[in-house]
Amino acid sequence: MQIIENKIIKEKLYIEELENGLKVMFIPKKDTNKKMAIIGTKFGSIDNYFINPKTKKEVIIPDGVAHFLEHKMFEQADGTNSLDTLTSMGVEANAYTTNDHTAYYFEAIDNFEPAFKELLNYVFNPYYTDENVEKEKGIIAQEIKMYDDDAISKVFLNALECMYEKCPVRLDVAGTVESINKINKEILYDCYNTFYNPSNMILSISGNFEPDYIFNLIKNNLKNNEKQEKIQRIYPAEPEQIYSKYKEEKMDVSIPAFVIGIKDKVEKENIVKKELILNILLNYLLDENSDLYKELYDEGLLISEPDLEYEYSDIYSHMMIFAYSKDPKKVYEKLKSKIKELQKKGLDEKTFIRVKNKIYGRLVTSYNSPAQIGRIFMRDYMNNIISFDYLNEWNSINLENANKELQNRFLEDKMVLSIVNPK
Amino acid sequence: MSCINKKSREENLPHMESSNGQANIDSSILKGNGVFSKTIKKGINLHTIKTTKYKTNLIGIFLTFPIIKEEATKNTLIALMLKRGSKLYKTREEITNKLAEMYGASLDSGIEKTGDNHILKFYLESINEKYLPHKEDLFKQSINLLFDVVFNPNIENNGFNEEFLKQEKNSLEQIINSKIDNKTTYALNRCIEKMYEGKPYGVYKYGYVEDLKDIDGYNLYEQYKKILSTCKIDIFVSGENDNIEDIIVQNEKIAKLNEREPNFIKFGQPSNPNNEKYVEEKMDIQQGKIVLGIDVENKEKDLVYSAQMYNAILGGTANSKLFRNVREKASLAYTISSSYMKLKSNIFIRAGIEIDKYEEALKIIKEQMEEMKQGAFSDDDIENAKRAIITNIKNIKEEQDIEISYYYGQELSDVKTSLEEYIQKIEKISRQDIIEVANCVKINTIYFLRN
Repeated sequence: MQIIENKIIKEKLYIEELENGLKVMFIPKKDTNKKMAIIGTKFGSIDNYFINPKTKKEVIIPDGVAHFLEHKMFEQADGTNSLDTLTSMGVEANAYTTNDHTAYYFEAIDNFEPAFKELLNYVFNPYYTDENVEKEKGIIAQEIKMYDDDAISKVFLNALECMYEKCPVRLDVAGTVESINKINKEILYDCYNTFYNPSNMILSISGNFEPDYIFNLIKNNLKNNEKQEKIQRIYPAEPEQIYSKYKEEKMDVSIPAFVIGIKDKVEKENIVKKELILNILLNYLLDENSDLYKELYDEGLLISEPDLEYEYSDIYSHMMIFAYSKDPKKVYEKLKSKIKELQKKGLDEKTFIRVKNKIYGRLVTSYNSPAQIGRIFMRDYMNNIISFDYLNEWNSINLENANKELQNRFLEDKMVLSIVNPK
Repeated sequence: MSCINKKSREENLPHMESSNGQANIDSSILKGNGVFSKTIKKGINLHTIKTTKYKTNLIGIFLTFPIIKEEATKNTLIALMLKRGSKLYKTREEITNKLAEMYGASLDSGIEKTGDNHILKFYLESINEKYLPHKEDLFKQSINLLFDVVFNPNIENNGFNEEFLKQEKNSLEQIINSKIDNKTTYALNRCIEKMYEGKPYGVYKYGYVEDLKDIDGYNLYEQYKKILSTCKIDIFVSGENDNIEDIIVQNEKIAKLNEREPNFIKFGQPSNPNNEKYVEEKMDIQQGKIVLGIDVENKEKDLVYSAQMYNAILGGTANSKLFRNVREKASLAYTISSSYMKLKSNIFIRAGIEIDKYEEALKIIKEQMEEMKQGAFSDDDIENAKRAIITNIKNIKEEQDIEISYYYGQELSDVKTSLEEYIQKIEKISRQDIIEVANCVKINTIYFLRN
């Protein structure tokens, strides 16, 4: 077991890789009654083509299997449903699927130990039948339709379709009604056996516990699965260029929603630093303090601060800016000229420091609750990052790095615009 | 650093709302930290919550007054205009720049409807000085900034700045119109509006586009002065600082406020007496949204605790009867839940369904309600519901904003029950109590949004 301490925010991480390959992270949190455990597997909607590590055969699966599996993990062979079991313990349990991982978690005040055992039990004991797989299709079809009526998910998805030609990040996490109809229990077992091996998973826990208690609890309740060799995933080659510049769709909404996407190069080095700088730059450009936001606000083109995000995995990397506006194209034009102007004259140092401090505040604030902490550490470690690194790297970021990244990453020919307009 | 992005699918499960500003309980009995409430002046209270749990300090100011249809639009505009500049920080940019310098402190304002009250809420969150890279008096700066924004607006010639007002009216028009954008929330709001047509609780909290044209900087300032001199004012501080009380009581903006007999509503008006009134609206959508607005009627007895239990068993959790039967057994819905609104004594059942499965879904929902009447629920159901509610009560102390909302909720009510008593009351609820509630519930309105 390794102990990593962060002196700035006075928190510690205990981390260990077990014999079966499971990575365990524990972040103690004194003074709190809340506890959380989350277990994630590196299996998301992008993983639809891989080589089965046992049979060595290539497998292509329908879209939406990772999400479907997540729905189907709760049912047990004895007829119980783990979501029921956990709920009846008085803990809040839930699960989610993203492009690159799936996670199961609960938050508790009492009953942490039985809930934790139940979590490990259901995640490591799948039970799929023809009947229960069939039944889930109706439920997931309703989930897909709910998001079909949601302008926000639509506008994000369309932006990804513009940026990427081949990369499966352009697919909806849940798949489509057609694709999920092709899913059967054999496919689910095949994917489960491949991706739910402990060596592909991370367990993260936060709460007021002694580390020994937590690590013993895990070791005493984990089946000794055999460590599996690394899964080989096959992804289509994605061109560096964007696929299309623009996509527009009409829905029954009151005001246009838009996403400006900026496609970026996938890299494996210095990711923490890059992520910090890109976040600083996005905020510098368009957060509520920025000159551009003031201008757009005064003209009635934006009425609230846009959502600014940078996201990446092993096969994609992009920034996305989301907001509502009566004239998204104008916002887009103004953003492009602002970027050009800043690329030419460089960033203002005072503003840069203000934004950098703001990002620092955000990082510290994310350590407020065990529920957040557990998630963040698991999520970051999916990308081989220890979350403390963001705080450690923060100091090393300077104006020069930021100017350089502004030149390299905010390229006009890598930008796309997606709009959902009212009918 | 990353959070969950908008494209990921977090499962949408029913859960009990923690406190939602409507609890009438007092948790000062909890060991360690509690809330210390102090009346600064008549009608103005300071509530301090000392805690070392968080890396941040959270300050909240709540202004509470009765909701009136004709004034709702103005009140929302006031919340928007206060963030456009104060005496010390003249413009929106000066405010946001100050916040950014304070390591990204955040200032949020919101407008809420709780019972028959309209509430302007202002929050400022900043990190605790202990965790700063360099020493600064961030807490004092936070108080000064927030108080200036709320109590010291930038007034010229006896009115708010007309140019800013024009922009904010524009924004508000967009905000009001956007109520159709989220179909789930829209359907719930429409059901409430129909149940309470012509009554205070039927007022849309953000107001009405047609009222915007008559508002100017002068009459808006008159409304601000009226609110500020008559409303109930609650100031909350959660965090680790010493001398909180001194810093606040000595603040000159507090000194300027008058004493008042706070004008707010404890018991509002009941819903219109409808009997399963069916309301249908159409939109171009893929999925239908059904909302059942239900009254819990009993004049003689306080059913607050047993109604919470009834709601939890019926549709409040992921193992409730509705979730099991409508979703898990019949595969008719992805989202299905019910929620209990204590101050209005209402339960709302909501589901997203295939449009042509309306009859089928409604039939199962009604069957479940009927089974509740017959007592067709298990002892496990009762135990599970108790555990879910009790966990919620305990959860209140674990998040800064929830804790504040909770203490505020009890401010709105006269009944003060300690947290332990609250838990005991839930523990004591029997099968018979729940059946009693089941026999007091009446469907008032069925709202269906379809294509």
